[in-house]
This record gives sequence, C-alpha cells and structure tokens, in this order.
Amino acid sequence: MAPLPHDDIYQLVREPIDMAALARQVRAPEDGAIVTFDGFVRNQSHNRPTLYLDYEAYESMALAKMREIGAQLHEKYRIHRVAMTHRLGRLEIGETSVFIAVSAPHRAAAFDACRFAIDTLKRTVPIWKKEYFEDGAVWADGELPPAPVATPRAKPAS
Amino acid sequence: MTPVSQTIRVTVLFFGRLKELTGHAEDSLDFADAATIEQLFALYAVRHPELAKYRSSVVASRNQEFAAWDTPLRSGDEVAFLPPVSGG
Repeated sequence: MAPLPHDDIYQLVREPIDMAALARQVRAPEDGAIVTFDGFVRNQSHNRPTLYLDYEAYESMALAKMREIGAQLHEKYRIHRVAMTHRLGRLEIGETSVFIAVSAPHRAAAFDACRFAIDTLKRTVPIWKKEYFEDGAVWADGELPPAPVATPRAKPAS
Repeated sequence: MTPVSQTIRVTVLFFGRLKELTGHAEDSLDFADAATIEQLFALYAVRHPELAKYRSSVVASRNQEFAAWDTPLRSGDEVAFLPPVSGG
C-alpha cells in the first residue's frame, strides 16, 4: 500500500477531541471542501437510558488499521488530507468518541471518503465499548471483522 | 520443515468480554511448535470452559493482522482474540 501523506493524522486519545483544530489541520488552499464526521455518545441504547460509555482498544493494531483505512481513502478517492481520531476511556453523554475530517479539491470525494472511513472503522478497527446503565453494564453489540478463512496452502513438495 | 519439535513462547491478548471471562488482558505461554491459533484458543477454552461458546464470534489476530484459525504460531508471536468490534 502507498505511504500515507505525512500531514494526515491518525490517533487514539484519552482527552476530549478538539474537532475545530483537526478540521483546521486538514484544510489547505488547494482544497475546496472538508467533510467531517462527529460520532458522539447517545443517551440511550435500545430504549434503555445510558449513563456513560467506556471504550477500550487493542491500541497498536487499532492505529495500524486506522492508517490502513487512510491508505485506502487515498487510493480510492481524490482527496487531500485525512484526520481520524478515536477517544478511549470513559465518555459521558454527548461527548465525541470518534471524529473524522477529510479535505478534497471537490466535495463529492470528501463525502464519499468520509462515509467509507467511518463505515470501515466501525467494522474493522479493534475498539470496544461497554455501555453502563442504572442496573448494570454490557459490551455493545458489534461487528465481527472480516478475517482470512484459512492460511494459503503450502505447495506440495515435489 | 524440520521435524524437530520444540517449545515456542507466544504472547496472548484478550479484549472486551473475553478479557473479563479469562481474567487477564495479557498472558505469556509456552507451547508446542507448529501449533495453530485454533489450538491455542482450545487450550484456553479448557481452562475457561465458557470461552468455547464464543468461538464463533471471535476473530484472531497474529502480530496485529487478522489471521485465519489454522495459522501456525512462531516464537515471539503476539496473538489476540477479539470479540465483535464496536468502536465509533
């Protein structure tokens, strides 16, 4: 896969995400559009009031997968820069858990890339959230990432 | 392939509900050479019988890449068992 532009941003953080700063960092004079995605903590899950969420990650692999998504974005879409930040730890209702910003010369590519980025992140990046309710806590239903079914068979010995 | 059997050491990571179920996030294990990820999981399922029922809803990784269950392990590998992901 092609190397990522050095001014892309992929990070896991434990503090509130500064969305304005990230959007500024992907913005450049040659661009004409930035599309951002702000994912934040909902106050209920399946009609049960949520108290807060706790996120954990397999951090080294999560960062590697986020960078892989970035590389795919640059391959598939005519975009300029990507910022992709996920927060870990305890998050309160309304706090941003994931933020993605994509800049591009034209809006269509930025929209498409941003949508692809969040959809792929939710399916493939090893991050988990535990939902806390008045009467207990559960790990959120998630998606099983696609994994190879079998290792390639070794060539038979001649 | 040399037929000599030897012991290898792998690091094993558990996340989410699997971490709670096994009681540890990280373990280090000496194991027979040529063993697979599937056999490694089975070994933990003997220690923690509840693990077995999660087998179909777990994916494995080897050295931070998603890996097939029949992947052979090498000394120094980092294997992780990952429940369905729920980031975002």
